[in-house]
Amino acid sequence: MHVNIGLADTSNGCLLAAVLLYALGMLAYACDFAFAKQRLIPASASAGEPALVGAGVGFGSAAVALGSRPDAGVGNARPAAGPPSAQGPWPSGFWLRTAFSLTCVGLLAHVIAILTRGLAEHRVPWGNMYEFISAICCMAVIVLVAAALRFHAYYIGLFVLIPVVFALALDVTVVYTSAGPLVPALQSYWIAIHVTAMIVSSGLYIVGAVVTVMYLVSDRSRRRTAAGLPSRTSGIVLHLPSPLVLDRLSYRSILFAFPVWTFGVMAGAIWANSAWGRYWGWDPKETWSFITWVVYACFLHARATAGWRGRRAAYFHLAGFVCLMFNLVGVNLFITGLHSYAGLG
Amino acid sequence: MRTALVLLFLLAVASVPGSVLPQEGIDPAAVTQYYAAHPALAPILAKFSLFSVFAAPWFAAIYLLLFLSLAGCVLPRTFRLVGSARQLPPRAPRNLSRLPLATSYQTALAPDAAVESARQLLSGKRFRLLAGDGWVAAEKGYLREVGNLLFHIALLALLGSVGLGGIFGYKANRLLVVGQQFANTPTALDVFRPGRLVSPADLQPFSIALQNFSAKYVTSGKLLGQPSSFDASLRYDAGPGEPMRSYSLQVNHPLRVDSVRIYLIGHGYAPTFRITDGSGHVFNETVPFIPVEQTGLTSQGVIKIPDASPDQLGFAGVFLPTAVDQNGRLTSVFPQTLNPVVSLIAYTGNLGMNGGQPQSVYQLDTTHLRRLPIAPMPLSPGKSMKLPDGAGTLTFTGYRQWISLAITYDPGQLPALISGFLALAGLILSFMVRRRRVFVRACAAPDGTTVVDVGGLARSDAAGGFETEFAALAEQIRQAQDGSARTVEVPPEPDSRRGSDPRTQTIGSALAAGNPAVNGSSSPADGHDSAADGHHSAVGSHHSPAAGHHGPPGSRDPENHVPSAGNHDPSLADVEGE
Repeated sequence: MHVNIGLADTSNGCLLAAVLLYALGMLAYACDFAFAKQRLIPASASAGEPALVGAGVGFGSAAVALGSRPDAGVGNARPAAGPPSAQGPWPSGFWLRTAFSLTCVGLLAHVIAILTRGLAEHRVPWGNMYEFISAICCMAVIVLVAAALRFHAYYIGLFVLIPVVFALALDVTVVYTSAGPLVPALQSYWIAIHVTAMIVSSGLYIVGAVVTVMYLVSDRSRRRTAAGLPSRTSGIVLHLPSPLVLDRLSYRSILFAFPVWTFGVMAGAIWANSAWGRYWGWDPKETWSFITWVVYACFLHARATAGWRGRRAAYFHLAGFVCLMFNLVGVNLFITGLHSYAGLG
Repeated sequence: MRTALVLLFLLAVASVPGSVLPQEGIDPAAVTQYYAAHPALAPILAKFSLFSVFAAPWFAAIYLLLFLSLAGCVLPRTFRLVGSARQLPPRAPRNLSRLPLATSYQTALAPDAAVESARQLLSGKRFRLLAGDGWVAAEKGYLREVGNLLFHIALLALLGSVGLGGIFGYKANRLLVVGQQFANTPTALDVFRPGRLVSPADLQPFSIALQNFSAKYVTSGKLLGQPSSFDASLRYDAGPGEPMRSYSLQVNHPLRVDSVRIYLIGHGYAPTFRITDGSGHVFNETVPFIPVEQTGLTSQGVIKIPDASPDQLGFAGVFLPTAVDQNGRLTSVFPQTLNPVVSLIAYTGNLGMNGGQPQSVYQLDTTHLRRLPIAPMPLSPGKSMKLPDGAGTLTFTGYRQWISLAITYDPGQLPALISGFLALAGLILSFMVRRRRVFVRACAAPDGTTVVDVGGLARSDAAGGFETEFAALAEQIRQAQDGSARTVEVPPEPDSRRGSDPRTQTIGSALAAGNPAVNGSSSPADGHDSAADGHHSAVGSHHSPAAGHHGPPGSRDPENHVPSAGNHDPSLADVEGE
């Protein structure tokens, strides 16, 4: 099978365009933080008494928006009594709209880049580290867009795009691998199942980790402010919803990511059973996916244990993410094993 | 649960050395190399089983303790779940407005009829119901605990399945040169790792012959030399007297014989030599060389001629499939044999094979060998090198290919797969289902209408989402009642009955995002213990932990009162925790 050079070049160009658009989107999100006067969660605008509630309640209502579409459900109980929640899912404010539009256009370019790469290679376009990182970043941006539309969580845009732009920039420069066929060990339909599950859950995990960091920063700053201590991050935190909202958003992402990751590990075991003759062999990649799974399971248990909720559980969450990243970067680069498909070196 | 949490984390930490240090069970050669590189450190690490972490006693101790604590937690909860199979929801609290989610409206239906209408609706939605005078209590979501328990029990079953494979299964490896064949007996296998209760007689009696092997590689571009396909044509039979069959063995396509699976896991070259010793005896040898790198498949190997005379002969060297001179150094640049070359160092003396000590066929013990004074020279097929001191001649006659096979029999495979999927199903169930209660109270108002209060409580709703369901449910109840009454609703004054509590109103509005009628109860100080019934007193304080966690207690910051915080319900401690 021949690699279609034209499509491969299109893919590279589109990915470059996506990185640029994301970077611009990131700047626009930053501008939004810097210049937007009243950067409140839009759901507050549809709350009953905007004059009475002020910022805090705005965020409080966002907690509800997080759990329910602002334009559905709750509002129906007494449509006559309150103002119609016709806010819709779209962001308000020039900078935020610009940022979100750039993100969406970037995502489109990114998806085209991945599709053309796959068409050029006549295979699933996640067979080496370059393609895998690109796909994970794409998934993270999809989660970002979905969270924004579904939960009005536009405030995470900047903080998700920073690592995405950074990772993609490294991806196209350092990690780049030219298009080509798969090694025989990867020539199986399981790559479409196992690796896709890993990509989907990794994208969710990334957003979850970013939101957890936001939670920790916001929680710390608010507690310091409440205790009368100075807080260097209070300027940013003012633009963020309450720690409770952030906590629930990150937890939500894990509620999706963890079963998908579990499924991915299981699919990997089934694949390993048909490729290497055993479903589990403590290969470094397997070991680290197990460690990642266990640490995220720790996080889930910590959340259900009295005295471990909140910050402590958040540290488990971040520990799980560190394991995930080590599995992606560390195991690929520093440890040899059966999963040495990075295509580097 | 705290114990389980610590053990779980310990398990993760304990796995780390297993991925960082070479492991006996995965790559014994790497362990040998590690010993050579760190002669002082390696024995100490070995003492702590750090080269076989996953078979180490301390690792087993951690997971066995974990599963013990799991069993100790899961079993009583299973009994409790079975016992609660017919448990009814608690009585409706007196004041529903103090529940995390509450709404109130008026209807023309009489109180009893209004309650009956709500009861029918909730019953149709498969809620468990308890009705009383002027109220109905409904609960749903017991599947959450079912999922939770299923997940943990399936993990225990998974461990059991792994153990099953370890006891009744076996693993073996065999290197097979094109033209060779072997039968599945312990002596014919290069590596044989039987389970604890496996005897040689248990081995399935198949035999396999390798007829041909072809490997294809990328021939241009940046990925030059990357393999694109491997194909081994086998002839096999399931036992003596069974019909011979053919199979094209490829990576990802194992051969199944008699519930055993045979995998293609490696390949390489076996150069062939004709060696004439000093006394004129001729030896024809086919020697598998082991690849040391993948881009050019440079392979190393040794030739041992123990029967040579007057002295034993030994050779160590490399095989280069596509040899190219790069700055005076021969390097293989492509894995296929475009320009095959061997280069050997010759030894004579005692190979050390007579001492009875088992010896690797891939290593030469040079302690009693003398290197012959001849510089290694690259030999092409057909070329010879004459050994000095009348020790004889070696001719590189050609090469064949070999494959390595992994043979596994694991009766725990299917149980493990089933347990895995059950665990996943349980996990999804416990994440998707939330346990929630809905209460409806109806009482006659002075103006002749009926005031209906609907209250809701999620007992496990960490990620939120119950607000939506509750609002929809409350709306359906109201519509059902209105439908029964066939009357037009008279919109009441917003919060007329609770106008005295401005805080409730504010939060209610914020909560409802435009609907003041759905209201959240407010601060932890509210202490709606009274709202909860006696035998579920834990429910009463359910949002204080969330508030306590995310802000100072009693803080006026309304975010702390967002009622869906109901998720951090300590009553979970008796549902989920322990």
